[in-house]
Amino acid sequence: MIDRLAKFVRDTQIWQSVFRHGYPDNDRNQSLIMFSSVLLHLHPVKIRRSALRFRYTMCLGGLSAFMFLLLTFTGIFLMFYYVPDTRQAFQNIKDITSNVFMGGLMRDLHKWSAEAMVFLVWMHMFRVFMTGSYKAPREFNWGIGVILLTLTLLLSWTGYLLPWDQLALWAITVGTKMAEATPFFGYAGPWGQQLGMRVDNDIRFLLIGGTVVGQSALLRFYVLHCVALPVLITLGMVVHFWRIRKDGFSGPL
Amino acid sequence: MSERNTTENIYPRNPKKSYALMELVKGQGFQTKKQPEDTVFVWPHLLYIELIAALVFLAGLLWVCTFKHAPLEDMASADTTPNPMKAPWYFLGLQELLVFFDPWLAGMVLPSLIVVGMIAIPYLDINPKGVGYWAWKERPFAIWTFQFGWVQWWVFIIIGVFFRGLDWAWYWPWDDWHQHKPSSGATLNDMNVILEGWGMSVSAANMSTYIMTIGYFAVFMVLPAILWRKFSRNLGFARYVTVWGLMALLWISPVKVFLRLGFNIKYFLVTPWFKV
Amino acid sequence: MKDMRGFEADSGKAGDEPVTRRDFFTLVGWGGFLAAMGGVGLGSFKFYVPTVLYEPPTTFKIGPPKDYGLGVDVRWKAIGQFWVVREEKGMYALVSICRHLGCTPNWFPDQERFRCPCHGSIYDTNGNVRGGPAPRTLWRAAISIDPVDGQIVVNTSVRQDPDPKSIEGIAVYVEPEGRKVEPFYISV
Repeated sequence: MIDRLAKFVRDTQIWQSVFRHGYPDNDRNQSLIMFSSVLLHLHPVKIRRSALRFRYTMCLGGLSAFMFLLLTFTGIFLMFYYVPDTRQAFQNIKDITSNVFMGGLMRDLHKWSAEAMVFLVWMHMFRVFMTGSYKAPREFNWGIGVILLTLTLLLSWTGYLLPWDQLALWAITVGTKMAEATPFFGYAGPWGQQLGMRVDNDIRFLLIGGTVVGQSALLRFYVLHCVALPVLITLGMVVHFWRIRKDGFSGPL
Repeated sequence: MSERNTTENIYPRNPKKSYALMELVKGQGFQTKKQPEDTVFVWPHLLYIELIAALVFLAGLLWVCTFKHAPLEDMASADTTPNPMKAPWYFLGLQELLVFFDPWLAGMVLPSLIVVGMIAIPYLDINPKGVGYWAWKERPFAIWTFQFGWVQWWVFIIIGVFFRGLDWAWYWPWDDWHQHKPSSGATLNDMNVILEGWGMSVSAANMSTYIMTIGYFAVFMVLPAILWRKFSRNLGFARYVTVWGLMALLWISPVKVFLRLGFNIKYFLVTPWFKV
Repeated sequence: MKDMRGFEADSGKAGDEPVTRRDFFTLVGWGGFLAAMGGVGLGSFKFYVPTVLYEPPTTFKIGPPKDYGLGVDVRWKAIGQFWVVREEKGMYALVSICRHLGCTPNWFPDQERFRCPCHGSIYDTNGNVRGGPAPRTLWRAAISIDPVDGQIVVNTSVRQDPDPKSIEGIAVYVEPEGRKVEPFYISV
């Protein structure tokens, strides 16, 4: 009875239009699913058995990508209850942790998976170096990876300002003061003043939209953290994954 | 030449056909060293591993969330800086570096050079060995250099996380972390001031610091070419200069820490525009 | 040279005319495109530069000189980010922003030092650096006496920032007497 119902469903035009092949329990369908699914075709159809060994990749790259998905997921939830306003932001965070159903868990997860992502990305880079996987023809993809690592750190840094607590304010004050010391483009950096940089026109002023870390800094960092940097890092990840397939795997894969 | 003739002889072009064998070349086929029977389907073998890894990691994160909550301090206020003010752990290495270098160097130039240097690695490493497996012995230079930077990075982070307390003074784990340490009695001096103290004239002292700084880089540029001739010749000029220039910068943090802690030197080079 | 239809082409002879018509249009097309893109880039940059700022005030009336005793007074640090220092003969205001990376140092009366919690910079009451990574001396803010009501006026947006040098014992040093100039010092 159930078998007949299942067969009926599977024979409908709707089902057939969604799933182009049967359940992947034989060679043909296991190949077809890798070809026909946009997400799964990041992978090849077959890989060498030795590549499955945990000791080779330790899943570090994959877990970094998973952390990014988890951060997007929890970040979107947090955005529903957060206003980037210096008078409200701190209270919003308190509300999220104490009043919103599962809000505290979402914030904790966002925080710890962000830290985990930094760690995983670093270790992934370490692993790729130690197994020599950056060598020709994969030089370019290593470069993309370094940029992704930098973007990960920038995402963490911009996210730091959003709770508008003491840690936020001072971490960003210190960080943007460093921008002020940039050679040529910063007011306090070497050759900055010689090139006409002032407190109100140098690179730090652009970054925080003012001379002190205040409302415009919060708004700018919010937009960078929630829109600009995630879009950039997604683009980078797309290229990174594509190149893994196109440049070929090192070693056992 | 002979290859072309061979191809023509074995497979003569047929004008009636729209296709033809273009060329036979020597080389390895795609399947060399890859036995088809050694491969497995990604679905389900690899996908299961990925799913399990993700779920285990997520479970671990959830477990952490049950007893360790994301920190939230008092509301931001420009009046008082918390003491000590620590950046998140992954930036503490840079924050520690800021104790020894001016912000333009520790905060902007050195981090940028780390990024640029890392991107350059594949183009600087000409050793073809050790691709795709854990290998120490086949590429000692690459690995020792990388480890040197990697260990520095973590040592600075560990110092920042575990050994810096009130007023960013050095605290041992067994010290009282709520008690301010008296300001250190040692006074810091610039290299040229120290040289003046030894009886040099002002201009001679300044000149000496310039010469010593240039000498520092010159050692990195000249010494390897003498010590490792073959290795240097293989690198070629452009790679050689880049590799050893970056190497000199990789050593700059330990050298400065040594000068600061050993000899109380604040800057070893003072120019009208910047100080190092 | 003949073109595809067999006519003599009116341009394109190598060396005869340096720029063919096709080259010219390519140049104009790409040039126009790049110029437009450059304009978009400049416009985006200009858009990103804020033109109106809403920032906290920088000028404070802090009462008459008789309110302040000898030494460092910290009561305005929380409100205006400056310390008032009174000496035997005069007064000045030090901006409470560390010259290293902008944290707020704390005043330790027992040590007579300002110490920064971020990276451990140490200053004396003149603003000279007695330790830590700070590359310059503390700013002094503009200070004056309002002729109408006799109150002290401090403006922290006008700052004295002389070039320091290194002397035996103090790494970042400015002669304090040289800093006692209008409008950064008032005699009382």
